[in-house]
Amino acid sequence: MTLQTTTARTTPGPAAPRLSTLVRRYAAILIPVAAVLAAGLIGLCLVGLMGVPIRAALDAFIGGAVGSPYAIAASINRSVVFALVGIGFVLANRANLTNVGGEGQIAVGGIAATAVALYGGVAHLPLGLPIVLPMLAAVAAGAMWGALAGIFKVKAGTNEVISTLLLSFIAIWLVYWSVQSEALLRRPRTTSATLPESLEIPESTQLPLLTGDFSFPLHIGLPIAVMIAVVAAIVLEKTIFGTGLRAVGLNPVAATRAGISYGRTVIAALALAGALGGLAGAFMIQGEQYLLKDGFSSGYGFDGLVAGLLARGSVGGVIAASLLFGFLRSGGINMEMVAAVPTALVMVIQGLIVIMLAAASFWLDRRPP
Amino acid sequence: MSAPSAPLLSVQGMTKRFGSLLALSEVSLDIAPGEIHCILGENGAGKSTLCNLIFGVHQPDAGAMRFRGAPYQPTAPADALASGISMVHQHFSLVHDMTVVDNVLLGQTRGVLDRRGCANRLDQLARQYGLPLEPFAKIEDLSVGERQRVEIVKCLMREPHLFVLDEPTAVLLPDEIAALLEVCRRVAERGCGVVLVTHKLAEIKKAADRVTVLRGGRVVAASSSPAAEIDALVRAMIHRDADAPATPFDPAPGGETAAGPSALRSAATRARGQTDVLQVDGLTVRDVHGVTRLDNFTLTLTGGEIIGIAGVEGNGQSELAAVLSGMIAPTSGSFYVKDLDLTRAGPKAVTDAGMGVVPEDRHAVGCIAGMTVAENMFVSRLGQFARWGFLRRGAVNIAALALMKHFDVRAAGPEAAFSSLSGGNQQKAVLARELNLQNLTVLLAAQPTRGLDVGAVAAVYGHIRAASERGVGVILISSELDELLSVAHRVIVLYRGRIMGTCPADPAQRQRIGAMMAGHAA
Repeated sequence: MTLQTTTARTTPGPAAPRLSTLVRRYAAILIPVAAVLAAGLIGLCLVGLMGVPIRAALDAFIGGAVGSPYAIAASINRSVVFALVGIGFVLANRANLTNVGGEGQIAVGGIAATAVALYGGVAHLPLGLPIVLPMLAAVAAGAMWGALAGIFKVKAGTNEVISTLLLSFIAIWLVYWSVQSEALLRRPRTTSATLPESLEIPESTQLPLLTGDFSFPLHIGLPIAVMIAVVAAIVLEKTIFGTGLRAVGLNPVAATRAGISYGRTVIAALALAGALGGLAGAFMIQGEQYLLKDGFSSGYGFDGLVAGLLARGSVGGVIAASLLFGFLRSGGINMEMVAAVPTALVMVIQGLIVIMLAAASFWLDRRPP
Repeated sequence: MSAPSAPLLSVQGMTKRFGSLLALSEVSLDIAPGEIHCILGENGAGKSTLCNLIFGVHQPDAGAMRFRGAPYQPTAPADALASGISMVHQHFSLVHDMTVVDNVLLGQTRGVLDRRGCANRLDQLARQYGLPLEPFAKIEDLSVGERQRVEIVKCLMREPHLFVLDEPTAVLLPDEIAALLEVCRRVAERGCGVVLVTHKLAEIKKAADRVTVLRGGRVVAASSSPAAEIDALVRAMIHRDADAPATPFDPAPGGETAAGPSALRSAATRARGQTDVLQVDGLTVRDVHGVTRLDNFTLTLTGGEIIGIAGVEGNGQSELAAVLSGMIAPTSGSFYVKDLDLTRAGPKAVTDAGMGVVPEDRHAVGCIAGMTVAENMFVSRLGQFARWGFLRRGAVNIAALALMKHFDVRAAGPEAAFSSLSGGNQQKAVLARELNLQNLTVLLAAQPTRGLDVGAVAAVYGHIRAASERGVGVILISSELDELLSVAHRVIVLYRGRIMGTCPADPAQRQRIGAMMAGHAA
């Protein structure tokens, strides 16, 4: 009798356990955070096993990521590059295209930006054109690099995963060639010690810093990227073009029957992704490195790709993942330099985080709503 | 060969469900040694399911089999192979950059590869069965017919007692088909049972000793003298309901039931005298192998007229629909809507010209299952709801809601996932989209009622008739004769891509149309 009344009271009652409802409600945020923390913990254990004092490693990591205004700005500038590539990935992915060519698109963007900044005669133009024109050149170069993969796919059926990846290798070697040949972008050889890199771009073509303070070198790439993120989210969700991307991605045959051009959509999607990669390359040259050298793209195209993958189609997700990776990269570099944690281990920890995040999203997907 | 004393394979009361779909229901048949037994049926009739049960790919929910006198319960294809049953699947499983001999030897798991011995054995089989093959040619250099020969040889190497071929002729050229049937005959003459799955009638006439007809997962007819009874078999294969009256579907929602189809027909005849809306001139389609799939197809469609295209599936209907909807360009010929040449204009131009298309394959071509109902209803003209490139979702949803109401599309709402709708409601939504084109002049509906329940079928017919009364010209492609007889005004019969004849859609013409579908000139 008593038992029955209790059941009758608890079943329809709204007083369910509070903690579990909270966890349930915010699972989409809490679980990835927990995953990252868990991966970090495992990483620290590995650091300990390698014989590096955990305390020192942790200090170095935090110092590198957020330890100073300079560190914070550097981390965010990195995140901006990741975010641009990641947003490009998400745009193309809406049409069921997998653009893994961010690295190459950054590379051609960097070449174009450097070339225009150094030899385009833009240094003394008014109205911010010295800054804008190299960026536009980078966007055009990246778009062309992406569109190439699109054209291959439409005309010859080449899988864009293969073509964007191979185009990346070509682009990376183009950077190498550009900085090795004086006929191209290499600085004039004055001594035998002249490095294979371009001249530094004129100050007027460098991205202005938001605060003007070199101890906090956050450049205008950040607001531009935020704007692009907002525009990208709107394009994807609110426009005809975004709907067309989705239609082609979900059912290319039905989309064709409905009058949406498969070829044009695929080429446009990959060109857009490439354009954002190219812009990221311009930011790296004009905002941080100020000259072109071999390997300047530092694998950021692949980090951006991972950010795009983990975001699973959401622009907000790209931003979150990019920030995470930006700070992680900065912390990791410092951990390597200051605490002598091997580079390989830093890469292992980053990999762990990616795997844990992927596992978390897999788990979230399978969970009944 | 009829009434064999001891069947080779005896199938009793086989039933197989896939989820809610009843793929096979209480199917029983016997295969005798030395006979070619054809399994005839439309797509989705259960032919492949039956093969897969015999070959151990699937296990039945009910029923039993006996093979060579002993109970036979295969749990995997390996069991079937071990028992002496071999099967050639519709899709080949060959390694393209390996030679014929290596492909034949692939299944061998022990010992040394005896390529020379295998090549000799191949030569022997080639002479025995008339299966010429170059043992050391690479698969990628072979034609489709030769590749199939490799699959067949792979089976014959095992010296099977029962040889199953699932739609073997779908990919073959006519003379390759003749050669294949000859091989089947030689295999059967050695005492092996041959099961040949097909929906092509010519093959049955030529090769079958016995025929079992499946429809909707049931055995609906069987014949021991198929060549003589071919017309009856066709009817058994294509009728939706064998017991249906002459005009089984008289939907006419909106109180037109009393009028009946004949009245509708005369109304439409009155409505004629309108202009021609679609002119098709000598459309010919050859596929990549050079086989003519559609041969010199010509018709003139007037406003308000419903022309039915009859024929057993695979006789050129799909190609006709693909060309008219702008999905493929014809090899030659042309077609015009009003006076606009659309021959090579592509799907968008076809839609813009006022041709609504209900595609044959709803899932692959007709809809985008991952999008919402509203998006699917307007995907072909989202531009109408755009301002500065922005999609006004509210407006789309309101318009979709109105369409859903008018066409009785039952869904949770315009934003519901299209995949959440039942098949009938999906088809009504596709029909709603196409009938709602602003300047609709021609409706091309291919197999619009396939897989629908009776209520949904009636609704689809009602909408097609209503469109015709508004002066829209309709081309209705269907493999169901009853459907054409009750909806269309005249019927064109396609056989092997060619027009066999045209006749009024009168139930009295049923025999004549059936004969033309089977390839007899009328």
